[in-house]
Amino acid sequence: MDYVVRETASNFRRNVTLTLATIITVTISLTLLGAALLFRDAVDNATVRWKDGVEFIVFMDPDISVELEADLRRQLEESREVVDFIYIDKDEAYAEVQELLGDSPELVDVITAERLPASFRVKPTDTLPERVDQLAEVFRTQPGVARVVTASETIRAIEDLSRGLSQRVIIIAIVLLVAAAVLIWNTIRMALFSRRQDIEVMKLVGATNWFIRVPFMMEGFIQGLVGGLIAMPLIWLTNNYLSIINDDVSLELLRGFMVDPARVWSLGFQMVGLGALVGTVGSGVAIRRFLNR
Amino acid sequence: MIKLENVTKIYKGEVLALQNASCEVQRGEFVFLVGPSGSGKSTFIRLLNKEEQADRGRVFVAGKDIGALPSYKVPFLRRNIGCVFQDFKLLPNKTVVQNVAFALEVIGHPRSVIKVKVPAILELVGLSRKMHNYPDELSGGEQQRVSIARAFVNRPLILLADEPTGNLDPNTSLGIMTLLDRINRTGTTVVMATHDRGIVDKMRRRVVELDRGQIVRDQSRGVYE
Repeated sequence: MDYVVRETASNFRRNVTLTLATIITVTISLTLLGAALLFRDAVDNATVRWKDGVEFIVFMDPDISVELEADLRRQLEESREVVDFIYIDKDEAYAEVQELLGDSPELVDVITAERLPASFRVKPTDTLPERVDQLAEVFRTQPGVARVVTASETIRAIEDLSRGLSQRVIIIAIVLLVAAAVLIWNTIRMALFSRRQDIEVMKLVGATNWFIRVPFMMEGFIQGLVGGLIAMPLIWLTNNYLSIINDDVSLELLRGFMVDPARVWSLGFQMVGLGALVGTVGSGVAIRRFLNR
Repeated sequence: MIKLENVTKIYKGEVLALQNASCEVQRGEFVFLVGPSGSGKSTFIRLLNKEEQADRGRVFVAGKDIGALPSYKVPFLRRNIGCVFQDFKLLPNKTVVQNVAFALEVIGHPRSVIKVKVPAILELVGLSRKMHNYPDELSGGEQQRVSIARAFVNRPLILLADEPTGNLDPNTSLGIMTLLDRINRTGTTVVMATHDRGIVDKMRRRVVELDRGQIVRDQSRGVYE
């Protein structure tokens, strides 16, 4: 045990720069991976919330006649499948756009209240997506209706976007993680090479392969572990950023865009474990090839 | 203690190092392996601690067919076999005492045992006063003594020596031979490959002569040629 600690420590001293490079790579890849998984969770959570209050929006033609609008309103009032609905007139729609696009006044300038459609926001009795779709379909074909958007459509769009995004991040993270494993493999190979005389003697006097292996595997393990431990607080920071998104009023759409702290912790630990695993495997492979020569 | 049964070893499918060699060495014997370079002496020795594997035939050490020994058991075989080489194979960044202690440390002996055994063996090889020197501060003969101390500290059944005097002058070589003789008298079987005619003729021990991979002579109390 004493021997393992001593040998591992001296290996680290021998290769400080390479060790640092390895740890940084592990950290970056694990942080990206953790953040991407966190983001995906957040999107999942946001979608779940949306499903509770599913609604669809009936946008009317901007130049709809008063009769047709009244007709639509009556249909909504009489439908047993509708609990409630809210009428958003052109001015309200404009106010909302102003708020959403507050950051880019040039866009707000282009839009006028006249051009925006009035709409009904509908809360159906039955919130099953299929039932909502059916109900939305009824209104879609009505005269004077420009477009019907169901909440699930919006959510699906967000989901697709975020999944595409996080998928790409995950791929990058995995590539980096492989790079980290290769770096660890290389570091250990160099350590093995610089200690080849010692290893030759150890084999000669009958040290077991495991005895020879352990200090080197410890080195890889610790590199991965430290990389993971640094990634953990970085993943926490990412989570804070998600909370900021959640608190931003202009992004009301993404309400519920949050991840349970317990989940963040467990994800952090998973990343630490993954780092340690990558380190151990990387060094293990290097030693295996060296000992079998 | 050692038995080769019709052993053939071919390197890379073409270099014939040993050809149908059979030989038996009893416990406590001292055997010289002689012959020109490339006659198979080193291969003979490397087969005994399973650094090489026989292509045909069987190798027995301490009654066990080591060809059938699974690789995880090889270290335990080697704990019973001390090895000494022409180039000493000492670790340059360790002192004499650390070099010898290392051999015990890596096979899991506790520090208390090491503390007793290492000075005792260094006393035996006559290096007590140079315990804390580094190998490059020692003469060739002294370095070989350290290497013998390391090979013998674990009291192996067999000591294999591959040209142990190859780098040493005749006088120093005699000192090393005296030491190997003393080790042999403790009951340790010694197998030594050598080119050194003077030593073989002086010692008058069993001589096994190899030529192009074949055992051409096996003579007790023999001479080099």
